[in-house]
Amino acid sequence: MIQPKTPTPPRWSLRLLRLFIRKDFLEEIEGDMEEVFMDEVEQYSYRKARRRYNWQMLRLLRPTLTHNIFNSQKLNYYGMFKHNILVTFRGFKRHKLTFLINLIGLSTGLAASLLIYLWVTDERSVDTFHENNDQLHWVMTHFQLPETMVTWNYTSGKMAENMKADFPEVLDAVRVGNHFFRPRGVMSFEEDNFEISGLFASQNFFDVLSYDLFLGNPETVLSNKETIVISRSLAEKIFGTAEKAMNQTVAWENTLFNKELIVNGVFEDPPTNSTQQFEALINYGVLIDRDPWADRWNGGYAQTYLLMKEGTDMNAFNEKIADYMNIEERSTGRFTVFTRPYASGYLYGEYKEGVLTGGRIQNVQLFTYIAIFILLIACINFMNLSTAQASKKMKEIGVKKAIGAHRYALIFQFLSESVILSVMALALAIGLVSLCLPQFNYITGKTLELSLSNGWGAIISIVLVTGLLAGSYPAFYLSGFKPVAVLKGKIAGLKGEEWIRKGLVVVQFTLSIVFIIGVLVINRQIEFAQNAPLGYDGSHVVKFERKGSQTADPLPMLTELNQIPGVTSAANMAGDFLWGQDSGSGYSWQDGEEDDNHLFKSPKIGFNLIETMRLEMVAGRSFSREFNDDRTKIIINESAVKLMGLDDPVGTKLGYSPTETREIIGVVKDFQYGSMHQEIEPMVIRFREWGRNFLVKIQPGTEVNTLDQIEAVYKKFHPKYDFEASFLMDDYDALYDSEDKVAQLSNYMAAIAILVSCLGLFGLAAFTAERKTKEIGIRKVLGASRVAIMRILSKSFTGTILVAIVLAIPIGYFAAESWLQNFAYSIELSWWIFTLAGILSMLIAWLTVSFQTLKAARVNPVECLRHE
Amino acid sequence: MKKTKLGEFEELVLLTVVVLQDQAYGVEIKRELEERLRESLSVGSIQSALKRMEEKGFLTSEFGEATQKRGGKRKRIYQATPYAHRVLEEMKDVRAQLWASIPGIATN
Repeated sequence: MIQPKTPTPPRWSLRLLRLFIRKDFLEEIEGDMEEVFMDEVEQYSYRKARRRYNWQMLRLLRPTLTHNIFNSQKLNYYGMFKHNILVTFRGFKRHKLTFLINLIGLSTGLAASLLIYLWVTDERSVDTFHENNDQLHWVMTHFQLPETMVTWNYTSGKMAENMKADFPEVLDAVRVGNHFFRPRGVMSFEEDNFEISGLFASQNFFDVLSYDLFLGNPETVLSNKETIVISRSLAEKIFGTAEKAMNQTVAWENTLFNKELIVNGVFEDPPTNSTQQFEALINYGVLIDRDPWADRWNGGYAQTYLLMKEGTDMNAFNEKIADYMNIEERSTGRFTVFTRPYASGYLYGEYKEGVLTGGRIQNVQLFTYIAIFILLIACINFMNLSTAQASKKMKEIGVKKAIGAHRYALIFQFLSESVILSVMALALAIGLVSLCLPQFNYITGKTLELSLSNGWGAIISIVLVTGLLAGSYPAFYLSGFKPVAVLKGKIAGLKGEEWIRKGLVVVQFTLSIVFIIGVLVINRQIEFAQNAPLGYDGSHVVKFERKGSQTADPLPMLTELNQIPGVTSAANMAGDFLWGQDSGSGYSWQDGEEDDNHLFKSPKIGFNLIETMRLEMVAGRSFSREFNDDRTKIIINESAVKLMGLDDPVGTKLGYSPTETREIIGVVKDFQYGSMHQEIEPMVIRFREWGRNFLVKIQPGTEVNTLDQIEAVYKKFHPKYDFEASFLMDDYDALYDSEDKVAQLSNYMAAIAILVSCLGLFGLAAFTAERKTKEIGIRKVLGASRVAIMRILSKSFTGTILVAIVLAIPIGYFAAESWLQNFAYSIELSWWIFTLAGILSMLIAWLTVSFQTLKAARVNPVECLRHE
Repeated sequence: MKKTKLGEFEELVLLTVVVLQDQAYGVEIKRELEERLRESLSVGSIQSALKRMEEKGFLTSEFGEATQKRGGKRKRIYQATPYAHRVLEEMKDVRAQLWASIPGIATN
């Protein structure tokens, strides 16, 4: 047993001692205990001394030495507490409507916040499961282009080992193939085929990252190019059990290689909150064999993760590595190397011109605010209704104060009332959450669950904060009444109270109207993006990818596809039509000038694609077999013509390299490449005959039949693979998936916010009507009509809502404007959106209030004037 | 005599306090008693006896010096009150008389 320099008694024990021993004995007894402990450390082992200390500590817990929890002074608190609970429940019973409104409002608000809380914690937990998460960093690069700077999360395959060798702070470095270089294809064992997606990884993968190796020797897995490690679920799928998978030989035919491999390890499936998902791991060397660029300085094939020494100053480290690539043999000096914490990539993933601009964190923040606002609205309800009913509590407060209650006792009473209510609301909210969770998971695409593990501490504190916040205003306000005034029936400061109440309603409705505006804008924008003219006709276009070997001639399959009667046209291209990122540079259109650096958007298409997509040619012709077009021919779009300033583009030859030129054979009308997040940019369409992505336009009405026939053709050429096709426009819609989720969620949240606000308004209206009973009775006796009564009652609410509208419009405008900044093409924020939001909220408010006013207006005056 | 109610263990502690004079604080009393009784005692048992006796008026106490070993906390030095001395004497007398009254011993 190694002894630390200063032996210390066990911490928890010491804490217990300080907690229980009477304050005036504490110094002496603690000192005695310490002295005995020090004696015993010398006498026995450190561990034994600590054990004995714990035992001594427990034996100190006797009534003479501890402060008495049950002594008579404290009994009073218990009595007060009991009394408070009793009064609280009596109050609930007597004012059923208020109680229900508060309960429903608070529980809906809490449920909404809980759902958001679950979602936010889940988003924040992504990729943080690695044991050494704090030390794990991801190497990134900024790459300087003439007009812009792009940021990549991948680097050269050489980065990992070199950084480890060059910097002592780097304990270890992992390289894996980046997302372009992942083996995807069919794994076969005996007669069975499975489509899987794998990852190339360096040998230390399992040492550095916390993916668990279930079977296999950590020393040997990933150590050579003939073996493979597979996930547990894959092993069970292929072999029945994980154990049976060991040492079996599987064949894997994929985009990058075709090899027989021996299974020498099985790992637990990556957790769902890992962004990196893979079913098999294989040595990075296999990728190098396939493509030597994977291990060269000027090939960006790898993702590099560093395990840093604890306490390394990452800013200083980033300064050191900034020019790591800018050495003569490595690159052209346009790189800036930097690192970011490994897990931060998920939430903070977007860079613009080399500056971090956000990413998913924006949604996380947005919904955190929404949750807070919804809770705030619910709390305001409680505050409003309790102060509104102050007059009913006045006698109680007066009497209590007169017989000597402290103000603090009253504050405590009101706070405990609101905390009790919020605890009840929590119980209800948990029920609501478990009801809504499946639907919520469906919308967010997550698998959240309400379990003990995810932060009950936080949930309880949300409840307490809610309770205290909701109870604070009434507690301090009501407890401040002067007993004499109250008992005499004088109510001080009613005017001010009414103002505060109105102010709170204004806050509620401002928030609700901002929500309405947000919902309108989000939905409009998504609708706009999905229906905007794109410059091509993607309807009835089926899209699928050919798999397996990369060197298969697409022509036979294209010919057969074209023979299907329901097929209008079929074409292929390299890369995804909707991806919108394919780009290329190196074209020069003016002699001698350095203009070859412009990065053009640059899809690589095959014959017939322009016709299939119904792209409009402005001049020249499209790629055609009759002209025997090849890579030396290009088509550009109108924006490119403008950029190059060509008067007669068709036939112009662009310089491409000292020996090569590219001839423009046609000009295509501008069209949207990728999603509306991107602007239409100058584009150079390249030609590739061997593209793997197929786009087939089929005749409307024949979908089912034609798809079957396409599948038959596909199966003929790819017997091992499943036919996975989708409609191009469905995929296009999916580009707005994250906005769509935001829209759907905010629709629900806005509905909840409005509902809760209206509940509050409803309660207030009920209260006002009740207080004005006599007035209404007298007015009716004197001949006022129902309409007149209703007008009087709703007048003050109308004013309040109007103020809220005036406040909400600018706030909503700025919020919507900043959200729309994310899109290159967005809707105009026209006045009608705000008008509609205003009118809508006004209508909702009137409807809510009208229940009460109508009831009040219809009352028989005799009823309300009889009692006096 | 009726009101004194001094327990057996309390009496031992009280006597130790008298013996130790100005060295009479918790741990020292514990050490002394452990040595004499040849059994180990807990801090709790000593302390509760001391506190009870202080309450009954057998002991007075004041803070003494602080030592490194005690983590800088002060000792509390106990002193027996004159009343305690009287009670101890009385107990001793009662016991002596009782011993003297045992027939076997008296005749031998």
